[in-house]
Amino acid sequence: MSGERNGLEERDEHLRTNGDVRLVVPAAPEYLRLVRLTAAGLASRLGFTFDEVEDLRIAVDELCFHLLGDATDDGELDGRTMDLIYSAGTDFISITGRTDLSGAVPEPSDLSEQILDALVDEHEVSGSQGMITFRLKKQRES
Amino acid sequence: MAFEATDRNELRSRLEEYAETGDKELRDEIVASQVGLAEYLARRFKNRGEPIEDLIQVALLGLLKAVERFDPGRGLEFSTFATPTIVGELKRHFRDKGWAVRVPRRVQELHLRMGTVVNNLSQELGRSPTIPEIAARAEVSVDEVLEAMEAGRAYRFSSIDAPAGDDEDRVASPAAAQLGEDDTGLEEVEQRMLLSPLIASLPKREQMIIHLRFFRGMTQSEIASRLGISQMHVSRLLARSLAQLRDRAGAEAAPG
Repeated sequence: MSGERNGLEERDEHLRTNGDVRLVVPAAPEYLRLVRLTAAGLASRLGFTFDEVEDLRIAVDELCFHLLGDATDDGELDGRTMDLIYSAGTDFISITGRTDLSGAVPEPSDLSEQILDALVDEHEVSGSQGMITFRLKKQRES
Repeated sequence: MAFEATDRNELRSRLEEYAETGDKELRDEIVASQVGLAEYLARRFKNRGEPIEDLIQVALLGLLKAVERFDPGRGLEFSTFATPTIVGELKRHFRDKGWAVRVPRRVQELHLRMGTVVNNLSQELGRSPTIPEIAARAEVSVDEVLEAMEAGRAYRFSSIDAPAGDDEDRVASPAAAQLGEDDTGLEEVEQRMLLSPLIASLPKREQMIIHLRFFRGMTQSEIASRLGISQMHVSRLLARSLAQLRDRAGAEAAPG
């Protein structure tokens, strides 16, 4: 518990010094809209094109799906949250997301991998110690 | 929707037969004979920012449920019974979409207008436009453009387009479509994934879009011009296909 807390404080420190954005929402599909909107907003500030913003939004959806796991789809919240950090470089955006994990780390399907490969430059999903984490990075084309 | 008396009697006797036998073929025939009612009701819900084809699918699902639940012994006309069931299904569809329904009309209109704006700008610039460029052309703010992009996206898809199977909530059966002729040179691994039942269960055009975007690496704008539809439409179809693939992958992975 205390380890996790320290982790969060370190991340907050990072926010204060790097202009990153942190978003914490309930782990439910209804909130993906906010997650996508935040990504799109930051990417548009970096001069991403419509195509690139679209790709980013789809990739965020795809990865968050792994975080949501078997979260109920009927509007009931199970108390879990998704915790996202958006970092903007001069010509790239990277996003990490994490949530509590109950059960095994989901294994992304071949199709999911294929989709993400086509959309973003880097992506990974990993899990440990009751947490599941994803990370993605998308570079601006020009 | 007036029926001739003979049609009404014919419908009644078929419904009675279905209530007794539970014959799925008969059920489908009855549904097919009443498609007009579903379409009529679906059209009453147009102009709310939902494609009419989607609404008709939802209405057909309602119709199917009505056929299955209709009790001829109660003496109601079928249309009297079916109408609230279909309307209920349509309303539930809008309610399930949650925030999307509450997107202001102004944003929905911008969403529709952006299709043209993005296409025109892409042609003029020879590349995909940036969000500020779209905002300037549409004479709105960047935030409004982002909202409008989101407006076409907030779908939550149930299994309405899923192929007919054991699940009684499923209606229609999109053919396990083949890809076009120019796709015969697929790599084997592509072939395997594309022809997986999951993807094959999507409508043919959506299979094509998935293929072009994720296996051929074409951009949304390239796909839009190749298929002769707007990029916003490509975007909506992609989002919808992926949501359906996830739903079904989840359903298949579920134990039992």
